[in-house]
Amino acid sequence: MHLDDRLFHDKKLYLPLLIVVLILPWLPLGQAGPYVIRIATLTLLYMVLAQGLNVVPGFTGLLDLGYVGFFGIGAYTAALLTIHYHWSLWLILPLAALNGALWGVLRGAPSLRLTDDYFAIVTFGFSELIILVIKNELWLTRGPMGIPGIARPELFGVVLDQPWQTYYLILFLLLLVLWVVVRIRNSRLGRAWFAIREDEIAAECVGINVARYKIIAFALSAAIGALAGAFYARWFRFVHPDMFKFWESILILCLIVLGGMGSISGALLGALLLIPLTEVLRIILPSEFSSARYLLFGLLIVVMMRWRPAGLLPVERE
Amino acid sequence: MPTTLLEQSSLFLQQFVNGMTLGSIYALIAVGYTMVYGVIQLINFAHGEIYMLGAFLSFSLVSGFFGVGLPFVLAVTIAVLVCALAGVLLDLVAYRPLRRSPRLAALITAIGMSIFLQNLALLIWGGQIRSFPRAVIPVFLFAPALQFGEVVVSWLQVVILLTAVILMVVLQLIVHYTRLGRAMRAIAQDQTAAALMGVNVDRVVSYTFALGSGLGGVAGILVGLYYNAVYPTMGYLAGIKAFAAAVLGGIGSIPGAILGGGILGLAEVFGAGYISSSYGDGIAYAIMILVILVKPAGLFGRPSSNKLYRG
Repeated sequence: MHLDDRLFHDKKLYLPLLIVVLILPWLPLGQAGPYVIRIATLTLLYMVLAQGLNVVPGFTGLLDLGYVGFFGIGAYTAALLTIHYHWSLWLILPLAALNGALWGVLRGAPSLRLTDDYFAIVTFGFSELIILVIKNELWLTRGPMGIPGIARPELFGVVLDQPWQTYYLILFLLLLVLWVVVRIRNSRLGRAWFAIREDEIAAECVGINVARYKIIAFALSAAIGALAGAFYARWFRFVHPDMFKFWESILILCLIVLGGMGSISGALLGALLLIPLTEVLRIILPSEFSSARYLLFGLLIVVMMRWRPAGLLPVERE
Repeated sequence: MPTTLLEQSSLFLQQFVNGMTLGSIYALIAVGYTMVYGVIQLINFAHGEIYMLGAFLSFSLVSGFFGVGLPFVLAVTIAVLVCALAGVLLDLVAYRPLRRSPRLAALITAIGMSIFLQNLALLIWGGQIRSFPRAVIPVFLFAPALQFGEVVVSWLQVVILLTAVILMVVLQLIVHYTRLGRAMRAIAQDQTAAALMGVNVDRVVSYTFALGSGLGGVAGILVGLYYNAVYPTMGYLAGIKAFAAAVLGGIGSIPGAILGGGILGLAEVFGAGYISSSYGDGIAYAIMILVILVKPAGLFGRPSSNKLYRG
């Protein structure tokens, strides 16, 4: 069993964790309550994103520097469908994920034979192009004006307008994503990905259809990113091209570098440590320096790669 | 809108001059990417930040940001030397410890350093756009050097083009006719074999970083003067475009980087002028992706460095 899996199988560990997460909105936090729930919601959102990104660099060993592109695709898909057709969130979520997966495949298929740095560069360029299109095609996306007034999420006709309700919504999505990711990781598919990560040529030689398995990884990863984006659009109720800058890709990458690439619990831990820290720094630092908090992320990446490249919760290599 | 043939052709010529100016700057930056990639197969993402550092240091030294204002030539010289040193330090601190790690680790570190340096500049100099004070820059730079009808070539453009050409020639001489250059080429071919033949790999890599970063610093200063704007994120886009130039020319190839820079500069200016100004930056991304997907070796590169298909 993966070391990483103990979190999900060891009841002594995960039950108390689950209870803390479930009762968090009901803790007596007083004035700070809504704010704490907001940060917790954001943290869970980034946990979803980290899980999605982890599939490509973590499981198949290909560095994705443009993950925010899928986040943006999901957010804009949800925003446009909501604004124009007023569809239910529960119809939009799968559609956004599907659209994300489509773009993941479109990006992945031509880059199948690329490795290492060239793959990273293509992912980066692709995501920058997506954001550029979003910024410039005013007829579709309103460009730099953004799309305001997106309807809140709803469930069985009830509008989820309380912070705790959206908190439970993203928690549900996170658990769903975790269930999928853990199941797939421990399946034949997951083993094929690890084989590709460790040695692509050897994997090909033992009969693994490398192209097919890579495409599945790209699709899954992109779908999760777009799912998170769809939630984000409905939660934040506003989308803008500047929300999907290169920084975001790096921030998400930073989460899985900290936790340990390929480690599912590591990606959760990375988000748990860094996202609240980001928010706290945003408040503590004077406004002109608040963007300089990225300095810490840059430094963190360098330090991790130097002294603990496998992350805080490394995966066991068999 | 230009209507007559004369107006159109002079617009075209003016765009060509502007494109070549921009292209020679991209070439100066691209050479830094390509040299480092040639010797240690690393995309030095933080190279754009060295270029930004060149612009900021020269700005600070001439405008007295650090307390004393220096004469222009002295300030520029110091800025270039500090950039070269910064490149060497960058390698020593961040990349050298990872020489034997998987390539992904070094690549991620390079991205981390890029973000670190960019935000360090933000902390030191703030986010606003800085301009060189006109009084300290030699006046003649802004005067027209050549004028054919509507087409104006400023002295600054002449200086940029000449600087780029001279530095490229010097660089080619270093690479092809000195011991250092021979060592660099040896390492690029086969690092282990070079080390066995007595080449001090670490030292040569340091010199490579110094040369590339110095050129990047020069490019930063030239751009700072050309657009008269210096800001912490300037290295990001310029770095990407120069990297696209290096990829287009064939990463690892110095003549390729020069040609790629020229093409990128022209494509950007003409693309913005004749196709769409809002997608100006997109041209660089599109060229970069297309080259990688269709012809990863670029125009002059050695056949793919891709380990799977090396054959």
